[in-house]
Amino acid sequence: MRLLAAFAAAGLILVGVWLDYRNQTARGAPGALESDGIAPASAEFATPSSELTGYRADLGQLLDALLLGFVEIPGGPFLMGSDPAIDTLAYDVERWSADRPQGVVDVPAFLIGRSEVTVAQLAAFVEATGHETDPQALAAPPLHPVSFVSWPDALAYCRWLEELLRESPATPTELRALLAEGWRVTLPSEAQWEKAARGGDGRIFPWGNELRRDRANFATGRPAPVGEVACPECVHGLSDMSGNVWEWTRSPWQPYPYDEADDREGLEGDPLWVMRGGSFADPVRNVRAAIRGAAGPDVRREFIGFRVVIAP
Amino acid sequence: MAAAKRKRRRRRDASTEPGPGPPKSSVRPGSRAPDLRRVFLVPLVLTLGLLLLSLAPRVADNARLTFAFLAAVAGLMVWQGVLFARLSRARASRGFRVVLRPQHYLQALVQLTVFAVWGWYWRPVYDFAGLLLAQLIFAYAFDMLLAWSRGERYVLGFGPFPIIFSTNLFLWFTDDWFYLQFLMVAAGFLGKAFVQWRREGRRTHIFNPSAFSLGLFSLVLIATGTSDLTWGQDIATTLTFVPAIYLLLFGLGLVVMYFFRVTLVSGFAAAALFGLSALYGAATGVPYFIDSEIPAAVFLGLHLLVTDPSTSPRTRTGKAIFGALYGAGVFGLFWFLEAVGAPTFYDKLLCVPLLNLSVPLIDRFVRSLQSRARIRRLTEARWAMANLVHMAVWTTFFAAMTATGRTDGPHRGDMLPFWQEACEEGRAGACDRLVQIEASYCADNAGWACNELGAHYVEGRIVEPDAELALGFFARACEAQFQAGCVNLLDPSVVSRAPPRALDLRLLLRQGGLNLIDMSEPALYERACSHGWAFACERLGMEVQ
Repeated sequence: MRLLAAFAAAGLILVGVWLDYRNQTARGAPGALESDGIAPASAEFATPSSELTGYRADLGQLLDALLLGFVEIPGGPFLMGSDPAIDTLAYDVERWSADRPQGVVDVPAFLIGRSEVTVAQLAAFVEATGHETDPQALAAPPLHPVSFVSWPDALAYCRWLEELLRESPATPTELRALLAEGWRVTLPSEAQWEKAARGGDGRIFPWGNELRRDRANFATGRPAPVGEVACPECVHGLSDMSGNVWEWTRSPWQPYPYDEADDREGLEGDPLWVMRGGSFADPVRNVRAAIRGAAGPDVRREFIGFRVVIAP
Repeated sequence: MAAAKRKRRRRRDASTEPGPGPPKSSVRPGSRAPDLRRVFLVPLVLTLGLLLLSLAPRVADNARLTFAFLAAVAGLMVWQGVLFARLSRARASRGFRVVLRPQHYLQALVQLTVFAVWGWYWRPVYDFAGLLLAQLIFAYAFDMLLAWSRGERYVLGFGPFPIIFSTNLFLWFTDDWFYLQFLMVAAGFLGKAFVQWRREGRRTHIFNPSAFSLGLFSLVLIATGTSDLTWGQDIATTLTFVPAIYLLLFGLGLVVMYFFRVTLVSGFAAAALFGLSALYGAATGVPYFIDSEIPAAVFLGLHLLVTDPSTSPRTRTGKAIFGALYGAGVFGLFWFLEAVGAPTFYDKLLCVPLLNLSVPLIDRFVRSLQSRARIRRLTEARWAMANLVHMAVWTTFFAAMTATGRTDGPHRGDMLPFWQEACEEGRAGACDRLVQIEASYCADNAGWACNELGAHYVEGRIVEPDAELALGFFARACEAQFQAGCVNLLDPSVVSRAPPRALDLRLLLRQGGLNLIDMSEPALYERACSHGWAFACERLGMEVQ
């Protein structure tokens, strides 16, 4: 009888431990981020299946619009870098070379997201893949630009989105055809980003050369939902190319003149990846279309997000 | 029937306390209750001490750790409450018998020395001191209540110290799962109390208490693949942070050997392991273990885990066989665990309970050997009987091993370029070991190692190609700011490699316990060159050593 009771007690303990383990692992074992005092992601915002008007729950919460909100940037040359004679706020790192302030770069046609990637879109990715990310990345409202994402996080999102668009029957035919031709979903290169932001006429800001505080979210101290700040004059109709959050690119930090190559020769230094566009926390100087920022790939900050391109 | 049982229990409660003490008939019934209250003050104070420890910042800051403490406190409180009520009703008494056994306090001192030195070089040990104290308090209270529940007088001494220290020298659960640590301690004492047999005319526990609970929990952790709930891997590897750890363990082992005559157990275990490792190395051209001919944690185990005199054979030949079997067991288990993909740090833990079970067989075998006159003459010869002679032989053996670079100091298995070369040459198991070592360094955030792993999984030469895994490793390398990992992540169709950075070298070269964090870059590259890193030698303009 005693032996039976002992076995029963041991069994009960084992079942209890097992249930606790299941519970913990299902919830995500308490990790370093939580123990560092960072708030866990809000379940409300992390649920991609929640209905967001104007967004496609079946396609990773992409915009319910023509080409899922991707905008075509036509191929051709554009003026890259800054001429201090025209743009008095330009930094030295935006100068093309000792001889020339700006250079001409020919960029083939590509598609770019009209908006920065949103929290809801990242949440769809996290839910589908179990990708581990900073809980703060999912803590903001669903239509806010995603932040607290590292460069590898951004690339992982791009890979997942490409797979989703390739496999989903709901993907628009045009996009499906481009992907079938070998186009990839990825981060924009510096040149792609700058061309999308300033068009072919070398303007200082996406809306023109004049400083306007009502066309971008900068120097406000807080992010805004994507596309909330209207910018009818902005080239290609893209939103938040200036301000809101800095956007990761797939270009390693290199001095100009710009080189499309991914710098496989210089692998021994500290890695820095270019980010563009400035953020809600920056002054006007940092939200110009030619601004170049850079950060280590592991950096996760409230003011760094990304947008994606579909490019050959 | 129940009444008869109660009656029997009352009778036992009143009359079966072993050991010296006032005869039961001399205790007047009226005087028992106050005695019992005074006696029960001890577990009560211990339980309150545990409750007090739950207010320590480390415990209070973690809800699950706090729960573990409160659950332990609640369990002990309920137990002593029920027991007190039962004994009061039965008018039974309980008490203590103070017995200070050298095998307890000497072992505990030796173990404490290991903790003190280890913690000096690996800070989490000192940070763990509060939780170690909590286990000791829990162990005393639990053991006390267990003895009283079984109608025995509690033997108060240092008994719980070596059990707790020995357990914690090999396995701790992480703070979130610390209630399992209390359960492990409880399992050890329950095993000691209930899993017994008759040996040499008296009832005694079969298993070494700490090895029993360690073995039991190790099995469950392996079977459920939940080793990450423990610090086991870190414990097994960080002992080598202590400079001259083998010499230290050898020295401390001599103390144990001198007082408890266990030289033959440790000596034969070490000899078996050295011998088998040497045979394997000669046959395959690669070392069997990574960091030494005997991993430091195994060396610790063969001095302080397997040497419990009460659960090992008493005869000299039996001790030698017992030790040799431990060595062979660890060797075999290391292979087995590696083959099934389980963490190998369990190798030193799992075979002790099995060996404890085999003690009667060993004793019988030795008796049959000793029936042969010639062997008896040999094993009972005066020179063979002297523990000091055994210690001298062991010391000579250890000195020879040390002189030939088999203990402290650089070991070829610790040098990644050695494994890269061995893998290129197709030596047995070298590629698997290379991947295993790189995985371990990658887990420590050595970006170089993560990038190499990613490259292996793209190339598919030494592992099955796996694009997903490769991307995962490249991402990790990139997050560790290793630029080659980033460009590979961007486009894995072309694999880029780069030599380790200084940051990586501080991890890759830490063998031998040197703190490399503050080492100057020239010294670091010199060390890298001496470890076979050709790029480091080129940078210094030196020949590869």
